[in-house]
Amino acid sequence: MLISLNWLKGGLQTDNISDEELVKLIGARLVEVEGVIDQTHKYDKIYVVEVKYCEAIEGTHLHLCKIDDGGVASDVERDENGYVQVMCGAPNVHEGMFAVWIAPGAIVPQTYNTDEPFEISMRKMLKKYDSYGMMAGADELDLGDDHSGIVEINPALAKPGKTLSETFGNLNDKILDIENKSLTHRPDTFGILGFRREVAGILGQKHTTDTWYTAPEQLFENDSSVELDIQIDENLCPRYTAIVFEATEPNVNPYLDFDATLLARSGMRAVSPIVDATNIIMLATGQPLHAFDYDKFVAVGGSKTPKIIVRAAKKGEKLELLDGTVAELDENDIVITSNDIPVALAGAMGSASTAIDENTKRVILESATFSLYNLRKTQMKHGIFSEAITRFTKGQPAGQTKAVAIRFAEKASKYLKPLALFDTQKTEPAPIEVSVSLDQINGLLGSDFSADEVKTILENVEFKVSCDDNVVNVIIPFWRTDIHIAEDIIEEVGRLSGFDNIAPVLPLHGTSTPNEMFALKSQIRNHFSARGANEVLTYSFVHGDLMQKVGQKPENSYKIINSISPELQHIRQSIVPSLLDKSYANLRAGHDQFALFEMNQVYPRNLGVDNQQVPQGSHELGFVFATQKEQSNYYIAKKYLESLLSSLNISFEIVEFESNETNSYYEPKRSATIKSGDVVLGYIGEIQRKVLRGFKLTNGTAAFELSMAKLLSAKGEVNSKDFRTSDYPAVLRDITLTVASDAKYDAIEAQLRAVLDGFIYKLAPTSIYQAEGSATKNLSFHIEFAAPDKTLTKAEISDIMKKLEAVK
Amino acid sequence: MATLQELKNELKKLNAEYAKIKDLPADQRADFGKELNIKKQQINAEIAAAEAAAEQEDVAPLDISAPCDINGQMPEFLTADFGSKHPLMTELDRVIAIYQSMGFDIAESVQLDDEYHMFDSLNFAKGHPARDGYDTFRTEEGFIPPAHTSTMQNRVLKANAYKLEEGKAIAVAVPGRVYRNEDVDATHEHTFYQCEGVYVSKDCTLGNMLGILREFFEKYYGQKLNIKTQPGYFPFTEPSLEFLIEKPASLGGKGDGWLEMLGCGMIHPNVLKNAGIDPTKYQGFAWGGGIDRLVMLRYGLSDVRNFESAKLDFLKEFTC
Repeated sequence: MLISLNWLKGGLQTDNISDEELVKLIGARLVEVEGVIDQTHKYDKIYVVEVKYCEAIEGTHLHLCKIDDGGVASDVERDENGYVQVMCGAPNVHEGMFAVWIAPGAIVPQTYNTDEPFEISMRKMLKKYDSYGMMAGADELDLGDDHSGIVEINPALAKPGKTLSETFGNLNDKILDIENKSLTHRPDTFGILGFRREVAGILGQKHTTDTWYTAPEQLFENDSSVELDIQIDENLCPRYTAIVFEATEPNVNPYLDFDATLLARSGMRAVSPIVDATNIIMLATGQPLHAFDYDKFVAVGGSKTPKIIVRAAKKGEKLELLDGTVAELDENDIVITSNDIPVALAGAMGSASTAIDENTKRVILESATFSLYNLRKTQMKHGIFSEAITRFTKGQPAGQTKAVAIRFAEKASKYLKPLALFDTQKTEPAPIEVSVSLDQINGLLGSDFSADEVKTILENVEFKVSCDDNVVNVIIPFWRTDIHIAEDIIEEVGRLSGFDNIAPVLPLHGTSTPNEMFALKSQIRNHFSARGANEVLTYSFVHGDLMQKVGQKPENSYKIINSISPELQHIRQSIVPSLLDKSYANLRAGHDQFALFEMNQVYPRNLGVDNQQVPQGSHELGFVFATQKEQSNYYIAKKYLESLLSSLNISFEIVEFESNETNSYYEPKRSATIKSGDVVLGYIGEIQRKVLRGFKLTNGTAAFELSMAKLLSAKGEVNSKDFRTSDYPAVLRDITLTVASDAKYDAIEAQLRAVLDGFIYKLAPTSIYQAEGSATKNLSFHIEFAAPDKTLTKAEISDIMKKLEAVK
Repeated sequence: MATLQELKNELKKLNAEYAKIKDLPADQRADFGKELNIKKQQINAEIAAAEAAAEQEDVAPLDISAPCDINGQMPEFLTADFGSKHPLMTELDRVIAIYQSMGFDIAESVQLDDEYHMFDSLNFAKGHPARDGYDTFRTEEGFIPPAHTSTMQNRVLKANAYKLEEGKAIAVAVPGRVYRNEDVDATHEHTFYQCEGVYVSKDCTLGNMLGILREFFEKYYGQKLNIKTQPGYFPFTEPSLEFLIEKPASLGGKGDGWLEMLGCGMIHPNVLKNAGIDPTKYQGFAWGGGIDRLVMLRYGLSDVRNFESAKLDFLKEFTC
């Protein structure tokens, strides 16, 4: 929302505060000001001039003009009458008109505050005519979109040499760019009136809203011959006020007017006097208005007198809107109908069939409120984000429709004569009253307000306040639709007086309980990164194709219905596929080998829902080891796995692989299940070749995955790191065992350890060798052992060695 | 089942059939072609299956218990200086450590939730436009990958309500991954991290909230900081504020700029009520802010997309 600071400041005492400080205060106590667009010098050296002489130059679209600028411009050549020569290509330029002249040295307003401001100078045209400055169109002045001709100023206002800015009050303005989001609950601040009331409160000034808004008086008699029937559904349209007008002047204004300048500074554009009046009133009050052509309205409905029926649209109903698009409606949309024929999409846009134009004889003005919930959906469905619907979807108060309609009648009195006012609301509802104790206020804010202070703060913004001991009773004005409970009042007191004036104080409270899962994650993060692995994060959402590639069923995955792209359509079932997916890019980037790991939550559907019917997730660790070169990476992955599990003091076994619904990407012949007792901790293995082909990864790429919750429950007590040495000499031996090619390593190692039981020993495998075609393989170990209590004799050593060498 | 060779022969024959199309009467060509295509697809699928099976058979089993491959090297860890922790996670660990040092328990946020926790329990009226601001994703069942860590407030309050009865305070920080349906560019990600704080006791105040938040950021940046607030709007807090800190010296602050750090406010009575806590007896405050931004500021990063890219070239900037 754009707000003209000049407009806002009208009626406020701001002499003692700089604009900068005012904006700061607004930011601290009302709403974030995203930016201030400084237009203070936007209209410098731009004047109203009279065209004294105008001659078309044959064979061109140009006119040679002499203008009277009241002699204000410098650096220009003047003729004997003191007039300045300007060439003009606009078709509507004519002698005697008052135009707007951008003098040499001025910036064309359209380009002001852009990257390339354009400064006007003297130009030579058609090689021989000097042209000083330019006469401007509405678009060049940034006061409209019209480029069909130059703007004309009403002679009644015009004085040659007067600046454009002065001519229209003061265009030297600053525009506040307001972040709407934090005002979602404050419909009143979407009008200058309400915004100004807040600023008054912030400045500690008492604001009094004009009675035309708070106690509207209808200044015209209803013409009893005028009939209008209004039927509303109060759930969709709580209140509908309408005034029937008779046109007294055609709805055209050939001149640039003040409204156009105000609309431009509020981010809108002038259209026609009546439409402009509706928009100006909306900007002032927050209440959008709509004008129907009475005769067209009646013609569409086929009734004798207008019959307005506000109802929910029917599914499939169509309505051609003002902008030419045809909206397909459904039951959520609200339509204004003429005798049941839709003529407007309520709150959003009217239709061409009832639009006012230059020939409009009579007008029906609508000032109504609609269900913001319905309008919000309408807005989303039809993609309409006008200034009007933006205000409606904040929930404009029903209390203002009549006052605003009457205000419009005054504003548009030059063009329209009011005949009769109709209103669906016969009596004003009683205002809401909220009570709050002083203790509640100070107890929630940590402040020290007195009852008088609270009263003043609230009364400044027109709450009616009475104090009863320490209880503050507040009557809520109708425009504050956001105030319902004591806390709402407490917020107002804190906000208007400045939350920043409340002293920050640390509370005293207990100590924290450690979080095991975070501690575990931290430990794993440290463990792997210290061993050259890289922690990554990847999206929780994956492509259906990715699941297909790794053999996971899409049905086992929650599907996002409004995903950004197909790549992000499913919630992943496990982490390893995401890591495989990210490996290729890293290989291609030139990394020869790497270990990626991620700890995150996964939500396969087969985990079901918890007792609150919310999907159950699982914290998982995924790890992938990928290499540029084709090689078996199972053993390096296993080394990472084993080092982690032993650092966590988890006793585990690596047993035959069991596949399940989510782990089908492992190659069963080269994979294993990781168990601790009866509990499956996870899986390790090389990835199937056809899966790897899908990811363009080399054969032998290996991975493992672990359930973090199971790691936590399996996490053991500290393993004894007791380091024992013997006082007696150790025996150092390298041995090689020849065993059957299908003999399992762990069985062999277990036998060796059984032999060495009771000694202080070290046992380290050094190689596994198998000659091509051989039915046996050689396992080599380096062994050191000593007795705890004596020096081993040769015979004893030889006996042990024999036992070791007999293992197979 | 046909052997791979037989299937390949069949495919060859089938391909030859295509030549016949041009000799057929024009009205039969389309059907004939269609039939051939279907057959071809079938054979190709069978070939692929047979090839995969053959490949599978070629794969030699390995000894899952061994320390290395037959005739292979004993595996070695990668060099330590290659390793890295994810900067977002390192930062999250720091944030958690500070909250813990301030007496806060930690509870991780869920990554898939429902309408009740995401909106209803937080006092969002049904169909209220305030819900639009969150650009949520939804699953077919209507579940929501949460758009803010506030989705945990109801759970955290319920789980800790007993402490209030014991005369203690609820003080919990809730870090987690959250999601918004928005287009990704250098400063926007659909997936990011937040940390929520929830505090409830008999008599805690907005002044206490400001005190805790200032304390947190002073510990985080290791210096005294000026703070300020802006009014905000969240249906689940009343009053609602935006919290700003003076730009810290470590980020090049010279006492002039401000940084918007998070949204906060006094917990709305309805939110307490929804968690079974009597709002006439207890009051509290809550806040939530982004972690990604803290990391971007700390390391002077300009492209948020790197965080979820798993690119080693990026991660190596953060080697241990």
